[in-house]
Amino acid sequence: MPKKYHIHPKVMPLNLDYVYKFRIERGENCINCGRCTKVCIYEAHKRGKGDPRKMADPNTVVCRNCFRCIQECPRGALEKSLDKDFLNIGGSYWKSDIFITLWKQAEDGKVPVTGAGYRGPFTGPGFDSMWTDMSEIVRPTRDGIHGREYISTSVELGRKLNHLTFDECGKLLSKIHDTVDIPIPIIFDIPPENLSPNVKLAQVRAAAELNTFIVLPATEIAADIKKYIKNIIPLISAKEIDQHQGLIKSARIVAFEYAEEMLSAFPALKEKIKKISNALTIIRVPATKSVETIVSQLAHNGAEIIHVVADYRGMEVNGSGNENNRLGKDIIRAVHLKLVEERIRDEVTIIFSGGIAMAEHVPKSMLCGADLTAIDLPLLIALGVRLYESPEKIIVFPEGLENIPVRTVRQRMINLMSAWHSQLLEVMGAMGIREARRLRGETGRAIFFEEIDNETFGKIFKKRESANV
Amino acid sequence: MKPSTVKIKRMPSRFKHQVPKYKVTRSAACINCGTCAKSCIYGVHERLEGHNKMSVPIDYKCIGFECENNDFYCVKKCPRGALSISLNPMYETLGDYRWTADMITGTWIMAETGYPPERTDLEYNTGNSGGGFDKLRLKFPKGHSKIDKFEISTEIPLNRRNDGRANIVISTPVYGGGMSFGSVSLPTMVSKAHNATLWNTFTCTGEGGYPDLLLPYSDHVITQVATGLFGVREETIQRVKIVEFKYAQGAKPGLGGHLLGEKNTESVAKMREAVKGTSLFSPFPFHSVYSIEDHKKHIDWIKEINPNALVSVKVSTPNDVDMVAVGSYYAGAHIIHIDGGYGGTGAAPDIAKKNIAMPIEYAIAKVHNFLKDEGARDAVTLIASGGIRTAHDLVKAICLGADGAVIGTAEMVSLECVRCGNCESGRGCARGIASTDSELADLFNEEWATQRLTNMYHAWNVQLVEILQKFGMRSVRELVGRTDLLEHIDYSK
Repeated sequence: MPKKYHIHPKVMPLNLDYVYKFRIERGENCINCGRCTKVCIYEAHKRGKGDPRKMADPNTVVCRNCFRCIQECPRGALEKSLDKDFLNIGGSYWKSDIFITLWKQAEDGKVPVTGAGYRGPFTGPGFDSMWTDMSEIVRPTRDGIHGREYISTSVELGRKLNHLTFDECGKLLSKIHDTVDIPIPIIFDIPPENLSPNVKLAQVRAAAELNTFIVLPATEIAADIKKYIKNIIPLISAKEIDQHQGLIKSARIVAFEYAEEMLSAFPALKEKIKKISNALTIIRVPATKSVETIVSQLAHNGAEIIHVVADYRGMEVNGSGNENNRLGKDIIRAVHLKLVEERIRDEVTIIFSGGIAMAEHVPKSMLCGADLTAIDLPLLIALGVRLYESPEKIIVFPEGLENIPVRTVRQRMINLMSAWHSQLLEVMGAMGIREARRLRGETGRAIFFEEIDNETFGKIFKKRESANV
Repeated sequence: MKPSTVKIKRMPSRFKHQVPKYKVTRSAACINCGTCAKSCIYGVHERLEGHNKMSVPIDYKCIGFECENNDFYCVKKCPRGALSISLNPMYETLGDYRWTADMITGTWIMAETGYPPERTDLEYNTGNSGGGFDKLRLKFPKGHSKIDKFEISTEIPLNRRNDGRANIVISTPVYGGGMSFGSVSLPTMVSKAHNATLWNTFTCTGEGGYPDLLLPYSDHVITQVATGLFGVREETIQRVKIVEFKYAQGAKPGLGGHLLGEKNTESVAKMREAVKGTSLFSPFPFHSVYSIEDHKKHIDWIKEINPNALVSVKVSTPNDVDMVAVGSYYAGAHIIHIDGGYGGTGAAPDIAKKNIAMPIEYAIAKVHNFLKDEGARDAVTLIASGGIRTAHDLVKAICLGADGAVIGTAEMVSLECVRCGNCESGRGCARGIASTDSELADLFNEEWATQRLTNMYHAWNVQLVEILQKFGMRSVRELVGRTDLLEHIDYSK
């Protein structure tokens, strides 16, 4: 059994201003009696530092919404509301709560645990319209993150054989392809261009420490990060292979953007790489309307790893912009099913990215049929980056981020991944699945809203209506 | 019907203010004439003795826009037009999609008065989750019912096996869910048990031992045997009428139990025979159960130790919950208790609460129909929990096929829980409900809490009886599986 994979989180606060949920305001009728100080167990209310006769402004960052100060103030002088920043950040996909929970996970690396039941909508678009299953009694023992049982989250990247062939003497004839193993089903996708050097270096080092990968344009791989090349996937233009021979030689995987000519030219491209090194290849295919056809053609032409890239909200790209655009869940399922139908699914590796915003999106993508996922924005949100969806996508970096030490930035990214890894273990443990690679396309361990709603409520309520007719 | 032991008494909030839905604004045009104070019958406006100026309006007492039809409406009465009413931004910070601010406020009113709110501005029966119960509606027949309310029975039997064990009948088809000592405070636990006794129903110890203070109520206590076996003893199993096996909990199916270190105080640790301050995790699953045969062995074991007890089996709601239920029936369970994915908890990973296993609405229908097809439905009691928030949810659950329901969060809200969700760590609940901190666990007394719970149960019972009356039924047992009395706003048009 391979050594158990551990990520080592460390509490790492970041002294930058970030969003918080509640705002409490002290009205003019406050009589400075100090009752709020006594009742608040989170220390949101304190007396003024300069003048202890007066109450200081409430420290709403620590407010946990218990309402005690509101309800016990003898004058009813305190007012609470949702903070404006909180209401404005993100949008319909990147909900404001996501920012707070990612920020928190980056700080302590822990699985978010709270009391009281789920508080969100019953169901929603995309990944929100599925549940993961669990197993009640009959299934192998597991103790998840707390215990003894070994749950492997590692996945394999590369081309695989459909079957093995042997000669008459039982000697293996097939030539087994090279693959690369990573211990978590997550790689870091291309970061935005205007990243400050400390953040960029930290991101590369975080990928290296986690023993996963980061995809970086070849032109951006400067000398200071070259030593991490084993954990970098250079993104190379097919025309510039010769210029980047050095990188290709030392990298384990290289990536190319999809272009139409690749459908037929892939074998030649692979040959060219092979002359330089044994690096595996990724083809990045935008998740357009016809993505499953393109992926299937590439797979038939020998592609090893195909990276399906949806937009930052997990939506189809270049779509007509209307509601019929597919979301992550359906894009992956379509690609996966197409390859299954064509009996070639086991031969290629599928990476999905776009809209992976929370830990749950990783196992859900895999249940729908991806082998692994790639993420970008959550790593930045871990650093206090704000994202706004409307009127158009804007990313705002916090002031002073460029001065934060590399190790702080790196540790926050590691913390985030630690929290996600633990959450993946929780979900897999509940499902009774001990190997992440077995999550892929395991829809029998998923419950899809459309199906179950139709099976139960549809059956009950539709049948009767038609019977009445 | 309520048992004669139930007495309804007004039991107001323990706090000076409540969370206001409306905001009453007094502008600078106010001349402090005091007309508003004289007209408002709810006490929103006052001028303290010896003060020249009016006090700041007490928002939470205001009944809102529906007041405008009254002659004493302050906004109209004010000679200077200085008063206005708007929705209070504070109200948005209370509640969520499942438990809306209106639902919490409504439950508070029930716990205070013992009756459903008279205000018409609160949607307290249905949440805003956009699915499940929140998309189901009751279809009442037209015309007047001939049934007298006093003829209507809300009793349900819990032992339907005819196996010579106790024939337990509860007076209302609801009982209290398992909350361990440690996850909640002792006054919370005791008041739940006291209320269960008054209502001739049950409450459950959860997995955390059987505090001595519950002894007077033992006839109405279910003791839980869960995977960590915390606090399980032969004598606790022998002193109760129902023993519950907890295989899994809806909020965190497949993950066992969590009690974080800070809440494991000295008394909690003693009860659980554990070390103070360590986090306690119950494992998953029962390490002695890997088959239905093993499960039967468990049930036989309880039946052997307590020859009169009923056995309840609590499971969560995976895809094959129907198979699990049938298996449990054959293994000898009297009560199958299914706990849906959106249920409450004292501590659970957020990822589990949202994503693992199906909501209870589907599971009820699945299990009910499967048991029916198997010919076993009449020999077992099906109890649903995990998202039964209101009397309407209860009725919908029964129509979908449950015999009754277990509630947890609704009880906590009656004790003025605001669902802030901070029960899990540190000193626990800031409001003293789910805390074992010596200071916080003393924030209310048992008498107050018992009456609040009794009132809430009464308000639910009143609504249940009204609904049964409208349906022309004499017993809640006639309602089981009557999906024809429901409509789904997506499917039924």
